[in-house]
Amino acid sequence: MTSDVVVQTTKLTKTYGSFLALDALTISLERGRILGFIGPNGAGKTTTIKILVGLSRATSGEATICGAVCGKETARIKRLVGYMPDVFGSYDNMRVLEYLDFFGAAFKIPRRDRLRRIEQCLELTGAARMKDLFVESLSHGMKQRVALTRTLLHDPQVLILDEPANGLDPQARVEMRQVLLELARHGKSLIVTSHILPELARICDTVAIITGGKLRAFGGLDEIMRTVRQRRTVEVVLADRDGVRAAATMLGGELGGDASLTQSEATAEIRFSTDRDDAGLAQLLSRMLAAGIRVSQFREMPMDLEDAFLSVTGQSGMKAADPAPSRQVPVAVNEGRA
Amino acid sequence: MNAIIQRELAATLRSWKAVLLQAIFLACLGGLVLLRWPSEAHADLGGVESRQVFRVFGYGLTIGLMLVSPAFPATSIVRERLQGTLALLLNSPIHPVSMVLGKLVGSLGFVLLLIVLSFPAAAACFAMGGIALTEQLGGLYLALSLLALQYASIGLFVSSMVRSTDAALRMTYGVILVLAVGALGPFHLLKEAAWAGPGLLEFASGLRSLSPFPAIMGVLGDSGISSGAAVAGQTDALRFFTASGILSLICLAATGWRLGSRPMDRARDAGRITDEQALKTRILRRVMYLWFFDPQRRSGLIAPWQNPVMIKEQRCRPLGRANWMMRLIGGYFVLSFALVLGATTMSQSQGVAAVLAVIAIMQVSLIVLLAPSLASGLISGERESRGWQLLQMTPLSPLTIVVGKLLSASLPLALIMLATLPAYGVLLAIDPAQAWIAISAQLTLLLFACMAIIQCAGIGSLFRNTAAATAAAYGVVAAICVGTLFVWLGRDAPFTAKFVELALTPNPLAATFSIIGVTGFSEYRLAPGNWYVMGVMTVVSAAVLLLQVTRLGRPR
Repeated sequence: MTSDVVVQTTKLTKTYGSFLALDALTISLERGRILGFIGPNGAGKTTTIKILVGLSRATSGEATICGAVCGKETARIKRLVGYMPDVFGSYDNMRVLEYLDFFGAAFKIPRRDRLRRIEQCLELTGAARMKDLFVESLSHGMKQRVALTRTLLHDPQVLILDEPANGLDPQARVEMRQVLLELARHGKSLIVTSHILPELARICDTVAIITGGKLRAFGGLDEIMRTVRQRRTVEVVLADRDGVRAAATMLGGELGGDASLTQSEATAEIRFSTDRDDAGLAQLLSRMLAAGIRVSQFREMPMDLEDAFLSVTGQSGMKAADPAPSRQVPVAVNEGRA
Repeated sequence: MNAIIQRELAATLRSWKAVLLQAIFLACLGGLVLLRWPSEAHADLGGVESRQVFRVFGYGLTIGLMLVSPAFPATSIVRERLQGTLALLLNSPIHPVSMVLGKLVGSLGFVLLLIVLSFPAAAACFAMGGIALTEQLGGLYLALSLLALQYASIGLFVSSMVRSTDAALRMTYGVILVLAVGALGPFHLLKEAAWAGPGLLEFASGLRSLSPFPAIMGVLGDSGISSGAAVAGQTDALRFFTASGILSLICLAATGWRLGSRPMDRARDAGRITDEQALKTRILRRVMYLWFFDPQRRSGLIAPWQNPVMIKEQRCRPLGRANWMMRLIGGYFVLSFALVLGATTMSQSQGVAAVLAVIAIMQVSLIVLLAPSLASGLISGERESRGWQLLQMTPLSPLTIVVGKLLSASLPLALIMLATLPAYGVLLAIDPAQAWIAISAQLTLLLFACMAIIQCAGIGSLFRNTAAATAAAYGVVAAICVGTLFVWLGRDAPFTAKFVELALTPNPLAATFSIIGVTGFSEYRLAPGNWYVMGVMTVVSAAVLLLQVTRLGRPR
């Protein structure tokens, strides 16, 4: 894997009248890497993608793909980029093979190579059995596979996929993940948007979190976690249910009022959030033990992309609506997963 | 049912298009009456002037309602299906019959409003004198109400059968054209034929009752189209009222039945392909379909010399497939043979010019029917299905896209034009002196076909929505071919001969009639002026289309 930059945006800005859709976005993507592009609805993801693929023009700033300037060198960009929009764009009365043949011919893939190329791509995306079906009769998941095949036909350097896992069943999602990783292994660079964050977390090297047109976090997944993790969530499991109330009272006294402490007598569990470091947590544990609390487990809950996303978006967009969501939501997410 | 009526009517009346339509409708009717409103001291006691105005008013209202009344019902059910709300409606306690009646009343509400809006103009005509209140004014409004009911019912039925809004509009207007104009043909052809027995004539006369024109002409006191001596104007009106009522009931019952018979319960197409089937089946199908015309044949890849957009368009439309093209060509052979037969027999009794006029009417009708349906959705269809975004991402140039799309739309129309050539050949063999007339007439119609395709594509490219594009294209083509004939209807009064000639210049049918020398048109010199006008309109439409495709292809 080389480290050359394939996609680069520099202070990319887009306004629609007085509405600022994208505010000085600067990101980059290296060859063979997968960028997870996440943000709530209306955050500016699709605007960024449309500028990158040449469907929209930036108000200011610049975006380049393999050195070609987006919006200016459109012919080069079309060859370099494979774009899979969030809608399929189907044609009636066409079989999958005919549909792909049209796009192959449009990209001037020589006729002698076209069928082989179509079959290779269908095989790669697991859609080979669909080639004789009518496009409009396909299920949503099947269409996603055909759309990915169409995107791969002209062998683009960069793949920009808008919600590729949308509508896929769990089995298909696993397969799609493997396909995307395989493509990255072949040196393709991918920009993937998705609302299924655990899926993204499993394939992305790099993550960009965007809200209200502004880039909130950008970098490697671990780096993002470190940046956004200002408070840790700790779970304490007691050896018996009877001590839960006393332990919660003791911890409440130690941690103060902003610990978002929750307790469950049924499972003998207590959770709290804190900004203490490892030494501080070790001290807290020894005080619990000294107080006679019988601790069975004392562990920090790992933070995932979903938590990071919620943490970042909670700091920005949700503050006005909900004054204190950022502490409580991660706990709720963790409980849900447990 | 009430909920559906309220929603349908409110949705229609809320749109700016409805307000615009009402304003244009009122302005046209008001202007028409004002043109002939007596401004001098003497009065026309014979009522000649008021009858002239009433005639133009009556035909205008008829054509207006023919265009408007099926438009909303035709897209009503299919739109629900596409938006996913049909499943919700079918899952509600509303009975399918209530659903159909609700949609009918909701759609007809707007048409009734237009009819009511025409009352002041009708009252003005009546006040000018010479018009009978019950027989003429009452008869006209009864005929128009039944016409609106009939066409709305047909629109609803078609809407329950098709899968897209533009297909619904195409099919509905096609059926209406066949009923309004095509139904007159058999009686017109058979009434002079010596071999046609009374039973056959009666059947043709029954078919004729499906068209509103004989009834409307009877009510307006005009000499009825094709009305023979045995069929009087009053009988025409009564026959139309009965036929219209029965047809409306059949269409409404069929729509209710379709909605009640689980319309969503359909399996996905299995996508069977002959190449994958057993050897015996493969051999059988290849022999039966002569291999190339097998609808289950795996298509060949697009060749480098072919325009990919044209091939894609051909494959997308059912009529573009080889098996359908074969049927079309077969149909054209039959049509061509019938025309040759008709030309041979009719030219002896009615003269070559009359046969040329009949062929011209048929060709113009087919072009008016087919051109908007083939060409109006070429760009808007892509935008609606979001396929445009994908086309934008390919290296295809705007010119390649435009040429490919226009070629795909032109092919079926070219076949229609070709189907008439043998008949022209026969007529020229019978009367070689008519050669120049026949060539000029054919040239006019060829130019019209080109203009219609490019114009409809250009107009359609301005819309995001295929149904709106189709309706607009039909409106423009009908305005050129039918709208200008209203001016001709008032050729003695209120319009002057010069004004009528000017108004008829863009009309290809009128130009063809003037070339052939049809009575009522022979006094106008419309060619070559008509060719220049059509040429300019074609160039302007092509420029609009190319500019719009280029604009849409650019980053926004």
